[in-house]
Amino acid sequence: MSRLRIGVTLRVVGVLVVMGIAVFPLYWMFVTALSSNADLFAADARLLPDFSELGVFADALADGEALTWLRNSLVIALGTTVLSIGLGIPLGYALSRFSFRGKMLTAVVLLLTQMLPEALMVVPLFALFNRFDLLDSLTGLVLANSAFVLPIVALILKGAIDGIPRELEEAGRVDGARPLTMLLRINVPLIGPSIAAAAVIAFFHAWNEYVFAVTFIYAPETQPASVGIANFIGEVGTPVQTVMAVAFMFTLPAVAFYLFAQKYVVAGMTAGAVKG
Amino acid sequence: MRTTRVRRAMVAAATAAGLVVTAACGSDSDSSSDSGSDGGVTTLTFAASTFGDPGRGPKLQEWLDEFNASQDEIIVEAASVPYPTFGQTVLTQMGGGEGPDLVRFDMPEFEAASDAGLIAPLDDLVDVEQYDLLEEPDRFMVHDDVRHGVIFEASNYAMFYNADLIPEPPTTYDDFFATAQSLTAGDVFGLAFRQTEAEEAGVWQDIFNYVYGFGGAWSDGENLTINAPENLEGLQAYKDLYDANVIPRGADAATFRRMFAEGKVAMELNNGGYATHLRAESPNLNFSVAPIPFPVRSQGAILAPIVINEASEAKEEAATFIQWALEAENQAALQEILGASSVATATERSPESLQDMPFLTVFDELTETSLPQVVLGFEAQTPDIRKIVVQNVIAALQGDVDLETALDTAQEQATDLVG
Repeated sequence: MSRLRIGVTLRVVGVLVVMGIAVFPLYWMFVTALSSNADLFAADARLLPDFSELGVFADALADGEALTWLRNSLVIALGTTVLSIGLGIPLGYALSRFSFRGKMLTAVVLLLTQMLPEALMVVPLFALFNRFDLLDSLTGLVLANSAFVLPIVALILKGAIDGIPRELEEAGRVDGARPLTMLLRINVPLIGPSIAAAAVIAFFHAWNEYVFAVTFIYAPETQPASVGIANFIGEVGTPVQTVMAVAFMFTLPAVAFYLFAQKYVVAGMTAGAVKG
Repeated sequence: MRTTRVRRAMVAAATAAGLVVTAACGSDSDSSSDSGSDGGVTTLTFAASTFGDPGRGPKLQEWLDEFNASQDEIIVEAASVPYPTFGQTVLTQMGGGEGPDLVRFDMPEFEAASDAGLIAPLDDLVDVEQYDLLEEPDRFMVHDDVRHGVIFEASNYAMFYNADLIPEPPTTYDDFFATAQSLTAGDVFGLAFRQTEAEEAGVWQDIFNYVYGFGGAWSDGENLTINAPENLEGLQAYKDLYDANVIPRGADAATFRRMFAEGKVAMELNNGGYATHLRAESPNLNFSVAPIPFPVRSQGAILAPIVINEASEAKEEAATFIQWALEAENQAALQEILGASSVATATERSPESLQDMPFLTVFDELTETSLPQVVLGFEAQTPDIRKIVVQNVIAALQGDVDLETALDTAQEQATDLVG
């Protein structure tokens, strides 16, 4: 009994330590946002937030710019997620289930695209987007981010579909199902957790993306939060507390999306155990 | 049952997200930073990293508003480009035939842009003969008899010090070192400078003062002299201060400038633009300015030209704005905003400014001995040479290699680069 209790206690402590490591940066942003200038550079770091400084959040939101940035980020991230998942599912399915010439090459090329840094793509993409009048638009950023994240989404989903027994599809084929029907009715429900995981990757990629956004967007009202926050960094001064306040608010929607998607990842992981 | 629920939730999520994307596509900004004409009014965009400064940015915006109110044919809007990636972003946009109509560049990017043909020649657009331009900084605006820019801001480097901590500023390097050491205790540091690769441009600006202040130079105008003995001496002085732990290591400029404003840093070398910022952000701070106490009176200067994007469709209108900016009263107003910096033309400092910042004359007296932070003779390649030099100097700071070897390596790499 006592051995069991020690085991549980150790596990709880372990979870708390891991949670602390994960949550501490968020907490530190919050504490920094609520620090006075004197506290910010004091020898002894202030570990608790000073709620009398709460006005920094109101100041950051006062002119509505920060909310516009957050809205733009949300649109870009959701758009990228939907588009990359929408295209990644059939691409992953084709790579998993169909035999065609150049299949291996396609997979390798998809993998290689992940090795190209974004900075390398900025100039050619800029020229392309200029030609198609996609600069300074959220649609352009959704396309750019989707192009960048689609390969990894497709490869994740290919791996998930690989794991589904072909017999299930054969049974469907006997019942007269076409490939699209089999994909949507048989495979997609079974790879829900992988779709959720891929969605998290796509969302976070687009949410945090900076290089494309800062280059392709000119108008302040179209900038996402990643660029908006960087705007606070001035040549001779930076309002640290304001930056931290906006950065803290910037992290919250991403955390919320992760919690939403994580539910489906966990649901999928436990589904097998219930069915036996 | 579970599968159905998951599918329904996914469909619902996808539908909701799709609606958001659709709405987004509909709400895409139809404004562009490119010049646009609407009802006879031409809208220009003006990109300047100073618009983001908490102290000077709002005042510069008011200055733009004055231009917009002065006539009804042109509107100049501030383009929002973050300072950390300003040069890279704007150069990419201009290279792609887009970007702001007007740009305030720093010298390395100005040189690179003019060399690449991204800047419109001003000779036929602005008649500079009618303005009393300051000769020393203005000579850097002309390449092969073609004018590419007009000085927007010229700002000399000097030594800022906390007058509560340092009643008498040091006048020699040894004093400077000793003062920095004696004041470093607990959470107070005697000095601060940039020392990380993340702030490549800033490190370049800082080490420039050490190199030129010890009699060195990055080139003789025809050949690179990165590993010259004087450069080694100057950079050794910089490294000695780093090794002596008198600076907040790892702190970026934003952090240590706030520390200076809070009395946690006693000295830093900075340009005149900083003075106005400090006055606006920390009105109670008792600071002053003195020449940099290095053996040779030679220091860097921020020269920031205003230029017209070659890709702009409204060059005439952009030139109209530059002409307005060069008018005496608008130069005086700009001078007041920029504080210790100079502008394109000779202006009188107001008695109010001199009373508020008596040290302004220190900056003015340094104009003759200040140099733009470019490699003379290799102006267009300065950003690439800067990267090589900064990488090698930081490697030496971190103890990966000795300083002499680092400079030899930088000399070799940069020579290979320029051919």
